[in-house]
Amino acid sequence: MYEVKYPHLIEQLINNIEDLLQQSWHDVLQEYSHLSPRGLSLLILEKDKDILSRLQQTAVISPIQTLVAQLESQLAKPISQVIQETRSQRALELEQQVLLLQGDSNRRGISQLGIGEKLHHLMIHPITGFLILILVVYFGIYQFVGNFGAGTLVDTIEGYFEEKINPLVNKIVALLFPWPVIQDLLANDYGIITLGIRYATALILPIVSTYFLMFALLEDTGYLPRLSLMLDRLFKLIGLSGRGVIPMVLGLGCDTMATVVTRTLATKRERIIATFLLALAVPCAAQWGVILGLLASHPKGLLIWAVVVTSIFLIAGATISRILPGKAAYFYMEVPPLRLPKLENVLLKTYTRMKTYYLEILPLFVYASIFIWFGRITGIFDLIIGWLNPLTVSLGLPEAVSPVFLYGFFRRDYGAAGLFDIQETLTINQLVVCAIILTLFLPCIAQLQVMLKERGWKTTLAIISFIFPFAFFIGFVTSRILLFTGLFL
Amino acid sequence: MSCYGCSGNKCKSRRWLSLASNPSPEEGIIALVGMPNVGKSVLFNRLTGTYVTVSNYPGTTVEIARGKTQIGNKYVSVIDTPGMYSLIPITEEERVTRDLLLREDISLAIHVVEAKNLGRMLALTFQLLEVGLPLLLAINMIDEAKRMNIAVDSLSLEEKLGIPVVTMSAAKRQGIEQLKMRIASYV
Repeated sequence: MYEVKYPHLIEQLINNIEDLLQQSWHDVLQEYSHLSPRGLSLLILEKDKDILSRLQQTAVISPIQTLVAQLESQLAKPISQVIQETRSQRALELEQQVLLLQGDSNRRGISQLGIGEKLHHLMIHPITGFLILILVVYFGIYQFVGNFGAGTLVDTIEGYFEEKINPLVNKIVALLFPWPVIQDLLANDYGIITLGIRYATALILPIVSTYFLMFALLEDTGYLPRLSLMLDRLFKLIGLSGRGVIPMVLGLGCDTMATVVTRTLATKRERIIATFLLALAVPCAAQWGVILGLLASHPKGLLIWAVVVTSIFLIAGATISRILPGKAAYFYMEVPPLRLPKLENVLLKTYTRMKTYYLEILPLFVYASIFIWFGRITGIFDLIIGWLNPLTVSLGLPEAVSPVFLYGFFRRDYGAAGLFDIQETLTINQLVVCAIILTLFLPCIAQLQVMLKERGWKTTLAIISFIFPFAFFIGFVTSRILLFTGLFL
Repeated sequence: MSCYGCSGNKCKSRRWLSLASNPSPEEGIIALVGMPNVGKSVLFNRLTGTYVTVSNYPGTTVEIARGKTQIGNKYVSVIDTPGMYSLIPITEEERVTRDLLLREDISLAIHVVEAKNLGRMLALTFQLLEVGLPLLLAINMIDEAKRMNIAVDSLSLEEKLGIPVVTMSAAKRQGIEQLKMRIASYV
């Protein structure tokens, strides 16, 4: 078996520690008993936290610490660094012995060859990279998701529901159940089938599917890590490291998953900042889609929404990174080569996400319908709407929007779908204000669960109690600004 | 719990189901380890037939996924792990892999590496060997290396390292059967 030989003094230390461990084996290391003594000694020298903390309670720790301190005073570098450097050195030597380079072999990777290399540099350059981002957003998101998914596809499926399925369901339910209360549970304006299933199937599914397809394509080409590199400079300003961009970019697909991915961040500080920004100002696939669907035909409104949400993202990020103690972490990210996506993987991934997403929201939408039905027959619904109405009106919105906010408490996409449903009754100014509030507003329940699990209830509570009033406050400010400037979109 | 693919809980329940419907005893555990974005999840999909999300994006896997594969006439557990650079963890998802490798009884760790970045990745192979884990080196993306006129003398590497070395392209389904044959002597 291959064994790396370390500098003589370190080898001696390894032997000494092995002896110390063997002389008095400690039960605290029981879980590690299947590891080799040499490996264990090396882990100790590399300062493995778990093993060191277990040894802390034993008598063997002080002789080890003395030996390590002695050697560290003789070496110019920390022992762990010498060990890692020796390993890397041996690795490169071994590679030289077994790598067969033929002809004009190029070790730098496909991304550094020809077109790939040019594209790579264009993508990470702040100016050309930004132009590419705009192209991707315009064609990929605005045209494909906004106009095709949220426009053409939704119109077709939604039209089918409204013209064929809903009247049929209403008729059958009316025949089967003579009681209006039961009829309203299943059909009519707020029924499980006519509202819950219709929202999930006709509004959310086509939008989210086109978005997931787009996102899967971008993921598999290797564009996203380059986008992160390009955005790194921007993010440094607000105190997030380049690694912090990974969850942000993924959050544009699903904030819940992105909150889980904050684990890849090195410090607690970065994880809190990223969780906060994801909850506040990063719209997920469903929100993006529905908001694009609402505002795609009103580009000025879309622009105002984008400017407000981006500004809030930057201002909130800059503020929280100044409030939280600690400094920005270093940036290190693996940049994979640019690859032609494999159609099979793109389709399979899109399908898997669609299926998981649909199966997740379908029951939630059904529960929400039942909840609303229950709220309506008991009058609780009207009571809460009654409380919300003054708030809604103070935002310059009609009372019909109050239920949308109530739905939004269940899930942002449910609220957004509700908004989609009543869009004809609203002015564009009002649509923009609603879209901003729903973007900033409460994360969906799944995201809330993940936040609780990853960050604990104190941080989560702090984030949530900021976000709620803040979302409405910004909605209020935007509506007033639009009103006073007399800007009608 | 999440919008994406297969998250921890769902995989576990699927695993439980497959156990319930399949009475063959569990014979061993193999863990797929390596740096981010070397194709561990693709290999996991190929071995188990269970889909976990795969992207050309480092850090796609943040939780452990479990599945089963058939080696000879035995069913073996396969664990897909988040990418890691070293056994000394810096981030939380690296710690997950470290704990799994060092504290659980693994029959075989498969270190997945990229052919064209072999030199950078072998350091982790050394570290895994040092702690005494039963190890197999799987050199992936051999097709990409070939296009760059790079080949690996796997026999010589096998001799020098003293562990089995397999070359493959998981995405192209090349070398999977050979890998399974080499796994067979460990489980």
